[in-house]
Amino acid sequence: MSGRYDALMPHLIAAPVVLPLVAAAALLLIRELHYHAKALIGVAATVGGLCVAIMLMAWIHDHGGPAAIGVYLPSNWRAPFGIVLVADRVAVLMLVLTGVVSVAAALFSIARWHRAGVHYHTLFQLQLAGVNGAFLTGDLFNLFVFFEVMLAASYGLLLHGSGALRVRAGLKYIAFNLLASSLLLVGIAILYGVTGTLNYADIAQKVSQIPAADRGLLHAGAAILGIAVLAKAAMWPLNFWLASAYSAAAAPVAAVFVLLTKVGVYTALRLWTLLLSADAGASALFGGDTLIAGGLATLAFGALGILASQQLRRVAGYSLIISSGTSLAVIGVGDATLIGAALFYLVGSTVASCALYLLAELTERSREIDAAPPIREDESDRLPYRLEDRESADDDADDYALAGQAIPAATAFLGLSFIGCALMIAGLPPLSGFIAKFAMLGALLDTGAVAAATRPMAAASMRITLFAMLLVSGLLSTIALSRAGLRHFWSPHDRAPPRLRIIECLPITLLLLTCAALAIRAEPVLRYTRDAAQGLVDPARYIDAVMSARPTPGAASGGPVTVGVAQR
Amino acid sequence: MSLALLLALPFAGSVVAALLPSNARNAESTWSALIAAIALVRVAWMFPQIRDGGVIRERIAWMPSAGLDLVIRIDGFAWMFAMLVTGIGLLVILYSRYYMSPTDPVPRFFAFLLAFMGAMLGLVTSGNVIQLVFFWELTSLTSFMLIGYWHHRADARRGARMALIVTGAGGLCLFAGMLLVGKIVGSYDLDAVLGAGDTLRAHPLYRTVLVLVLVGAFTKSAQFPFQFWLPHAMAAPTPVSAYLHSATMVKAGVFLLARFWLILAGTPEWFWIVGGAGVCTLVLGAYAAMFQRDLKGLLAYSTISHLGLITLLLALDSPLAAVAAVFHIMNHATFKAALFMAAGVIDHETGTRDIARLNGLFKAMPYTATLAMVASAAMAGVPLLNGFLSKEMFFAETVYISSLPWVEWGLPIAATIAGIFAVIYALRFSVDIFFGAPSTDLPREPHEPSRWMRVPIELLVLACLVVGIFPAQSIGPALDAAARPVVGASLPAYDLAVWHGFNAPFVMSVFAMIGGAIGYAWLRRQLAHGRFRRPPLIRRLDGKSAFESVLARSSLVARHGLEIFGTRRLQPQLFVMIVLGVLAATGSLWADGLSWGSRPRVPASPEIATLAFIAMACAIAAAWQAKFHRLAALTMLGVVGLVVCLAFVWFSAPDLALTQLAVEVVTLVLFLLGLRWLPKRVVPDDPRTALRARVRRGRDLVLAVIAGAGMAALSYAMLTRPAPQSISPFFLDRALPEGGGANVINVMLVDFRAFDTLGEISVLAVVALTIYALLRRFRPPRESARLPRQQSAALPALTDLVRLNPASDAPAGYLMVPAVLVRWLLPIAGLIAAYLFLRGHDEPGGGFVAGLVVAIAIITQYLVTGAQWVEARLELNPLRWIAFGLLAAVGTGTGAIVAGYPFMTTHTAHVDVPALGVLHVPSAMFFDAGIFAVVVGSTLLTLIALAHQSIRGRRLAAQATEESIERNPR
Amino acid sequence: MEILLAATIGVLTSCGVWLVLRPRTFQVLIGLALLAYAVNLFIFSMGSLSVGQEPIIRPGVPADLLHYTDPLPQALVLTAIVISFATTALFLVVLLASRGLTDSDHVDGEEERP
Repeated sequence: MSGRYDALMPHLIAAPVVLPLVAAAALLLIRELHYHAKALIGVAATVGGLCVAIMLMAWIHDHGGPAAIGVYLPSNWRAPFGIVLVADRVAVLMLVLTGVVSVAAALFSIARWHRAGVHYHTLFQLQLAGVNGAFLTGDLFNLFVFFEVMLAASYGLLLHGSGALRVRAGLKYIAFNLLASSLLLVGIAILYGVTGTLNYADIAQKVSQIPAADRGLLHAGAAILGIAVLAKAAMWPLNFWLASAYSAAAAPVAAVFVLLTKVGVYTALRLWTLLLSADAGASALFGGDTLIAGGLATLAFGALGILASQQLRRVAGYSLIISSGTSLAVIGVGDATLIGAALFYLVGSTVASCALYLLAELTERSREIDAAPPIREDESDRLPYRLEDRESADDDADDYALAGQAIPAATAFLGLSFIGCALMIAGLPPLSGFIAKFAMLGALLDTGAVAAATRPMAAASMRITLFAMLLVSGLLSTIALSRAGLRHFWSPHDRAPPRLRIIECLPITLLLLTCAALAIRAEPVLRYTRDAAQGLVDPARYIDAVMSARPTPGAASGGPVTVGVAQR
Repeated sequence: MSLALLLALPFAGSVVAALLPSNARNAESTWSALIAAIALVRVAWMFPQIRDGGVIRERIAWMPSAGLDLVIRIDGFAWMFAMLVTGIGLLVILYSRYYMSPTDPVPRFFAFLLAFMGAMLGLVTSGNVIQLVFFWELTSLTSFMLIGYWHHRADARRGARMALIVTGAGGLCLFAGMLLVGKIVGSYDLDAVLGAGDTLRAHPLYRTVLVLVLVGAFTKSAQFPFQFWLPHAMAAPTPVSAYLHSATMVKAGVFLLARFWLILAGTPEWFWIVGGAGVCTLVLGAYAAMFQRDLKGLLAYSTISHLGLITLLLALDSPLAAVAAVFHIMNHATFKAALFMAAGVIDHETGTRDIARLNGLFKAMPYTATLAMVASAAMAGVPLLNGFLSKEMFFAETVYISSLPWVEWGLPIAATIAGIFAVIYALRFSVDIFFGAPSTDLPREPHEPSRWMRVPIELLVLACLVVGIFPAQSIGPALDAAARPVVGASLPAYDLAVWHGFNAPFVMSVFAMIGGAIGYAWLRRQLAHGRFRRPPLIRRLDGKSAFESVLARSSLVARHGLEIFGTRRLQPQLFVMIVLGVLAATGSLWADGLSWGSRPRVPASPEIATLAFIAMACAIAAAWQAKFHRLAALTMLGVVGLVVCLAFVWFSAPDLALTQLAVEVVTLVLFLLGLRWLPKRVVPDDPRTALRARVRRGRDLVLAVIAGAGMAALSYAMLTRPAPQSISPFFLDRALPEGGGANVINVMLVDFRAFDTLGEISVLAVVALTIYALLRRFRPPRESARLPRQQSAALPALTDLVRLNPASDAPAGYLMVPAVLVRWLLPIAGLIAAYLFLRGHDEPGGGFVAGLVVAIAIITQYLVTGAQWVEARLELNPLRWIAFGLLAAVGTGTGAIVAGYPFMTTHTAHVDVPALGVLHVPSAMFFDAGIFAVVVGSTLLTLIALAHQSIRGRRLAAQATEESIERNPR
Repeated sequence: MEILLAATIGVLTSCGVWLVLRPRTFQVLIGLALLAYAVNLFIFSMGSLSVGQEPIIRPGVPADLLHYTDPLPQALVLTAIVISFATTALFLVVLLASRGLTDSDHVDGEEERP
């Protein structure tokens, strides 16, 4: 069966990693003072990345069925010996998401942020290379390497613009992630030691047959690996760094950081469903209950946080935590329809949080002169509680005016966009947040889960809790966001409306339009995510695709090619 | 016009309205009125199709796989509501044109008004329960925006938020309820749901569903105990109050009750919950209404009370009651809208809504007064007005109910009392403000409003009269059509006559009238003496402040919770992660057991044993000293590194050893460069935190020991187990024949796992760039900004030492000999690097080590001869190195693609060079060159960036010291 | 032999963990470095411990795990060494910057409040 872009395949699969690397190297050759050229290249490369991702999705869409798993063998060595890149539905979905978010962030940054320090665009591209690599790779150690690329770039971006606040936040963030990385390495090492291979698919095959004596070691390795991954996915209690670090970062940086937690969630989902799949013998669905419980805890923590926060950035941070918690808990139930719904939700919530971070900067710009305020963030975040919820009752006695005040265009734009983000986060209509909630809650209610029989926690009681938590977190978000909205857009203040530039409004508009599109075209998207989830819950196809991929014959691995150099 | 178009029309109109200029009042109102009129006509047009139980359906596929389609389903009941929404909407728009002040930014107003109209239309016509929830929440949102229209006023903001949260929460409950209904019925389609009444009532989850749905309905319709938000919603512009908060939106709750009356009603739960809420709301609302001083407040509470009446009617399990409910929905909508508009006129023309200040307005505005009084008479249920008819029905239902005795007695009494209250507040609304001595102290001089502002009121009052006098002819058919779907196929026999003869309901009405008149006379005197500023007995019952303190508390609780369950400090975070790691490992080992393997042990040799002990000792020493003696700790760390390096040599890993060694050197230089910026620690820990610190140390020690033991156990278990079916033999097997290199490690790095290496060098590059970017903004700590104590002590004598420029003078001066030696080092190092690089593919070595060697050689130049000297003679551009290195690496990879092979495939070219014969040039070599370049570039960039700080620092220091000298000369 | 290596890894880990949990940035730095050593040795220990069996193909020696040590862990360790070197360097510089900007060498950038 043929489809679009067959000519470019399979090399297209490597493009999401190679393209940013080339762009980064090229950017290094340009002097800092030609920032226009740098911006041009950076944005062009990012848009190119989005296009590549969309082409991959189109390719998968055209092929459908089992054929729709693209496997790439860099260095032309057969799996499990060489490294493989696998572009299946989930991975490509995440690639497209990365593309959308990164384009928005890149556009936003060229308004002013990319000049706050040197080599912004280079770091940005390397960040993308790391994220895409982590999505595509099918090899444990390669995963570690791309995690490191991603994290190293994120350190650089977080510190972009320097300043005490960022450096302080950066120090914690780096220390935390270095420790997590060493845990990751330990986990990977144990898994290699037990199974003797690093390739996802190969491990998945071997997990069911390893001797009982090694089962404990295997689980220990998997658990340690899990801790490291879940720390990236911002699961409670491993997510205290998130709100502070992200709100310290420059707006476009925070916007692209939104992807990092998704990398964690994706990796957890991928490894859990593949390595510990339902047919992994004694290790089947090991740790699923932990996922549910941890997800619920994360959800609760995020709800607390969003309720306690004043600054939009922190609100965005906690909305991110809520999104992680929701995804993890729903994924942990391990039901295909649920995972499909969760993926749909993941896309929407990611886009929304990204938009909220950009928005927060525009909104708070007028009140924060310096990009990095000298005050400690939690002090600026504290209010005597009487002030925030009940305004003194007599302040409306004087201005009993029956004529409204016109809202300046800039504020109107910000306000409407804020409403959009709020609707997405709180899961209210008409944007796709509501659809996602509906899909998840609906799927939660059918008690058709395969897992329910084998795993008590995935059974009814857990579902009910999750069901309630999802709704309650929606309510709490509504409360918090309505308060934030009133404080920022409706309370009378003499501040002049922020001066916005088209290039700053454009990304936000695009992101919100994406949310609207997700709501309108919900059916196809949901079908796609369901198929993706189906591919996750029965990994046989994935394993076949990887193991049956054969290197191109006749290359170095088949014998040297002779290049004659002309005689004198 | 298709129904979908009808539904889309208001939203489209709203978008257009939002885009009009903010001063185009006429354009706005005309446009909106046009939209409303079209919708109204379209809806009215459907009457023939639905009059005898017909249902119009239209389905648009949205998410068929999830059972959520856009279904527009219009039966009589929906039609009646649609008529209310569009009709009253039209009147309200007309009215607002004159109500809103010319300075108001009307686009926002009309845009949201139209959006609300669309949402409400969608709500009443939705044929899918999820879709119903969808529009339900939309009405809450639009109402929020409209209440907060005058957002400069705190009461508007507060009221808006309260309404949003209360109704939004209800909406979520409704959402849950509807999901459950959908699960029980097996479909979200309204027809299916309406057909499954028995299944639903029999289902174990019935009560849950009921409660959830009822919470939704009660919050929306301001039923006890959720009634408190409605009075505060009155901060909205009066047209909004007339439209949303009396005529349509607040009716959504009772709409829901009526809609599901067929399938949910008829059980004791329904009767008691709904009835209880209804009675409480009816009586309390009316009671509170009597004491209001604010016109709109009075109307708001009376609205609450009337909604309670409707709810109560729906609770009584009789079709006739349901019919009465439907009838009262229409009537209340008409007269209450009229009353709100009248109140708006009065407010608009006099500048106040305080009943106490308003007196004798009849002279000033006779028309308005008449209209208002007729409307309030309808509200009070005076004969020949529409309110009378539905109230008669209500009384009748309360009388003829068959239930527990006390209910049979209590209900009529409660109804009558509510009737009395209704008469009282109706009288207050009319008599108090229109008669008596004209008040003089009004903000504005009262006069009749402009002609067109009155028209909507006139039309509504006319409707009240017509329906009140010729009910059967005027409203009969519509009521038939509207009520039939509610009660199901068989409509009970009822007659819409003004005069039913001298029966119990009539007695109750008369009683209510007389009692009301007396009560009013008494109450007026009381109020005149300034009593009852707030309704007696229910002062405590302040929903608003309760609600707001709950909100405030919740955010306070959340903050505490955040402090308990979260932290912003680093140490706890790391602690938690390690604990979790340990737990995860031990937990799973506990479950499945850990056993030592049977692999033959390698005998220990004394040398390696000593090395191991040295390593352990140094590690512990480093841990011991790291706080106060950094240099010592650093040295220990170096020793550990060397031991590790030796271990690698010992256990046949020469490449690792080489790399480790080179890395050790660079790291050491780096640390030494860095140490200079860490002032020596003299400050002791705060004694107040000493105890806490000691406890923490103990805790951490335990954790550290456990973690170490765990790692030891794990590694021992792994070491002693027989090797699994590893993939490694493949590499040994293919390295030489296919990888073209004898050194398997190197072949793996540049061929088998070249992709890893690519990532690895990009990590190097990123880090170097980050360090560079960070150090450009570097600011040394205050203590280190000054010169070291040794130098500053000797200041006056050795000012030339301070002034001396180390860069240029040192190599010529006291560092001459080493400088000369070091200069010779460079070419030698280059030679070694080249050697390592070239043999890399077959022997230990490779691009990475070579790069480090070169970097070390250059940095030695820096160390000895100073940065400026080197840079004056050696043109280095680390960024270029990095860039070209990356390009070389990626280029080699993509070259393979050009040749038709996957990325990073290695080729071996046999180049026939005349003098030297055939050379094997594997493309991996270019890749290795890339690695080399990146390593050199990033290492140099890092080290140089750090080294330059010393120059800057010294300059600063010199300036500082010179200033200090000038300040206090000897 | 194995027991020695395991013990060394254990001790390195213990010291690393202990230091990482300390409040002073420099202690954390040293701790991370020690942990890096421990982890590298750990990965290394996944292969067989063998003396004089360098994974460098010698002609006439059958290429299997009996005559050569497992090359894969070595390759992994090589990458791990480089990456840990890079991140350590980065942490060092961030530590310096933090010391300069916050005038404190506490990991939180400020002394803990009593």
